[in-house]
Amino acid sequence: MMVGTTGRIRRRVGGVLLAAVALTASACSVQGGSAGDGAAFPSKAVEFTVPTEPGGSTDLVTRALAKSIEEPLGAQAVVVNKPGANGKIAGKDVFNSKPDGYRIAVMPQSLFAIGPLMVEDPDAIKLEDMTFIKGLAVEDYVLVVPASSKYKTLKDLVAAGDVKYGTTGAGTGSQLSQALLFGSAKMDSTPVPFDGGGPTLTAVMGSKVDVASVQIAEAAKQVEAGKLRALVVFSGKRLEAFPDVPTATEAGYGVVVDQRRFVAGPAGMPNDVRDKLAASIDKAVASSEYGDLLKNNYIGRWDVSGDEVAAQLTKSQETFKALIAKLGIDLTGQR
Amino acid sequence: MDFFSPVIAGFGVVFQPENLIYCLLGVTLGMLVGVLPGLGPAATIAVLLPITYTIEPTAAIIMLAGIFYGAQYGGTITSVLLRLPGEASSVVTAIDGHEMAKQGRAGSALGIAAIGSFIGGTVSILALTFVAPLVAGAALDFGPAEYTALALLGIMMVATLGTGAPVKSILMATLGLLLATIGQDPLAGTSRLTFGSDQLLDGIDFVIVAMGLFGVGEILYNLESLRRKTPPPTPVGSVYPSRAEIKESKGAISRGSLLGFLLGILPGGGATMSSMVAYAVERKVTKQPAKFGKGAIQGVAGPETANNAAATSSFIPLLTLGIPANATMAVMFGALLLQGITPGPLLVQEKPDLFWGVINSMYVGNLLLLVMSLPLIGLFVRILKIRPAILAPLTILITMIGVYTVRGNVFDMYLMIGLGVLGYLMKKVGFEPGPLVLAFVLGSILESSFRRSMRIFDGQLTGFLTQPIAAVLLGALLLILVGPPVIRALRSRAT
Repeated sequence: MMVGTTGRIRRRVGGVLLAAVALTASACSVQGGSAGDGAAFPSKAVEFTVPTEPGGSTDLVTRALAKSIEEPLGAQAVVVNKPGANGKIAGKDVFNSKPDGYRIAVMPQSLFAIGPLMVEDPDAIKLEDMTFIKGLAVEDYVLVVPASSKYKTLKDLVAAGDVKYGTTGAGTGSQLSQALLFGSAKMDSTPVPFDGGGPTLTAVMGSKVDVASVQIAEAAKQVEAGKLRALVVFSGKRLEAFPDVPTATEAGYGVVVDQRRFVAGPAGMPNDVRDKLAASIDKAVASSEYGDLLKNNYIGRWDVSGDEVAAQLTKSQETFKALIAKLGIDLTGQR
Repeated sequence: MDFFSPVIAGFGVVFQPENLIYCLLGVTLGMLVGVLPGLGPAATIAVLLPITYTIEPTAAIIMLAGIFYGAQYGGTITSVLLRLPGEASSVVTAIDGHEMAKQGRAGSALGIAAIGSFIGGTVSILALTFVAPLVAGAALDFGPAEYTALALLGIMMVATLGTGAPVKSILMATLGLLLATIGQDPLAGTSRLTFGSDQLLDGIDFVIVAMGLFGVGEILYNLESLRRKTPPPTPVGSVYPSRAEIKESKGAISRGSLLGFLLGILPGGGATMSSMVAYAVERKVTKQPAKFGKGAIQGVAGPETANNAAATSSFIPLLTLGIPANATMAVMFGALLLQGITPGPLLVQEKPDLFWGVINSMYVGNLLLLVMSLPLIGLFVRILKIRPAILAPLTILITMIGVYTVRGNVFDMYLMIGLGVLGYLMKKVGFEPGPLVLAFVLGSILESSFRRSMRIFDGQLTGFLTQPIAAVLLGALLLILVGPPVIRALRSRAT
């Protein structure tokens, strides 16, 4: 599939000037000032905190959102990266700030639904610490083997009975999806966690592990080029990117795992501020620019209200917890 | 013919005026952020991401690439002049480079670094052009077992890095290994040595350790001598390396080019590792090992050549496999995604203009950097003439800002001060930071790779021998370990 870049305004010389300005501006982030009341919101720039390094999918989605939201919001939107502790550093920072709507964060579902299954953290961010504003995006996982692998289908793999699987890290959907799948299939499986999607992809392409579960965008090009073979996807329904690849559910194992991103602020945010943000996000995500970014990167939409976000987080945590107990899986990575 | 036509067409892309302007802009910015300690290319590219959105894709990537390899040039400057590594990949340069500066040979050090960087970069692009698809596979051959062997080999070399007593080096290396274990367990996710703090959950960033121990430690130490007596003004000799110095560096530059190119391909290896290995190799092959740590020009030429060669070749996994090999490449990956291009194995066929345009722009960029840096050396060495009372606080301030840009975290600034105090104390009692910093880097690679290997091999150590590359590396390690004592023993018996 060719990915086009048509229809984009190209301000070449302008970009040069902007580059210089941005470098100077980057030294001072937008903070402080007086908070307006709800009706006047927003009276200054709104800061979107991304809990990952720049360049990842959350970062891209947030930057695209920030770009499209300035007009409906009527204020500048600034993206700040605060990576660390799977999003906890960013979350603690934003959710302990004033709930005036000027500091909000894009958070991952995994921090709330998967992390607690692995490590007991008495200091973890609780759902009550947040005001949920909107659901944003959903990213699915695909189970891949190297093209040279003897496993053509999930059935072949299950028949082998023994598998070393690469994961993108401890406490990720990549690990959970495979642990649940191989647990359901009663296989002898060993997780080999890597540090993120790139290294995991390298390991599975180099046949250092038998299989790996990675996000669609990470593997789509390699599958297309014939370097990797997709066995199953972990979504509820078949995916546009891989129409011929069955879901794990179709293959007989009821495992649905995805990564969702949502926008949240500190608990106690006034309703009108929250609604203004939510309505602005609605308009921003309807822009074609934002839509193109999602489409090009195989990211799905998660257009739900803040309340539904909270419900989804609770539900997925309970589902995973029950499944793990039922299958007798130990996710702490010690086998 | 089929092979060369897109390559040549790529030059056509480069020489479009706007692409040339973006290339110049990129390398200039890169050099600047390289000079500023702590502010790395990854952070800079991230800041510029939203702007690249409005630029044509090829021009955008040409500019961002320029920032990346331009930073390798700039990083040398503070390393040599202030013993403050501007980039992680310039840490080892600080060892001999700063000694050279103290002897009034700062110009020579910076000159040879610029020349070496140019040669390393150019050799690497040439190699990239002709063998990229072939060597891309090598990146995949390197799995946990191979990294384990490589890290072990590296730590072995680290133990020999110090100029003082080997025991001291080993002690420092051990401390480095210990520091590397701070943070989340890479496999199980549990906290280690974090003392309940989330701030330490991701471990300590390499840049903080390097800048704290080397740079801040050095500044604190100099403050002490400031009170005792006025320091002698550093004489600044010739701004360019002499013919003899260039001759001395020839071997180091050729070895650095090769090492840098090869190690740059490995994901996670990249510029930092290549500069360390190049330094260790120069120390091994030299006929005057006593000069190392006391201003050996090969100790600058080797690593500086290697880090540039590696910066270039680290594009190979990204552009041919769609795998970002290091943090900067990950941001570059994001930049491509923003442009609606997903890098993958098909990129060369789908976007030959972009692929060859970016690669060929690096020839131009490297030339621009050489032309820019040589005349600037004379200007930069004047920094040494600034009174310490002004220079020291200014440097600390810039360093603090630099550290903040790494994660946007105030805690990291305190951490760096703490490590600076440690660096000062170490220097006072004759311990060197080199082995500590290098063991710190290699330690985390060794630990996670070894544990991954053990899982893959079902806990059997013999599994390493089933992997050809790992087995060869381990064999080499064994040779280095037992070879010299055995030879010595044989010799003493002969006489």
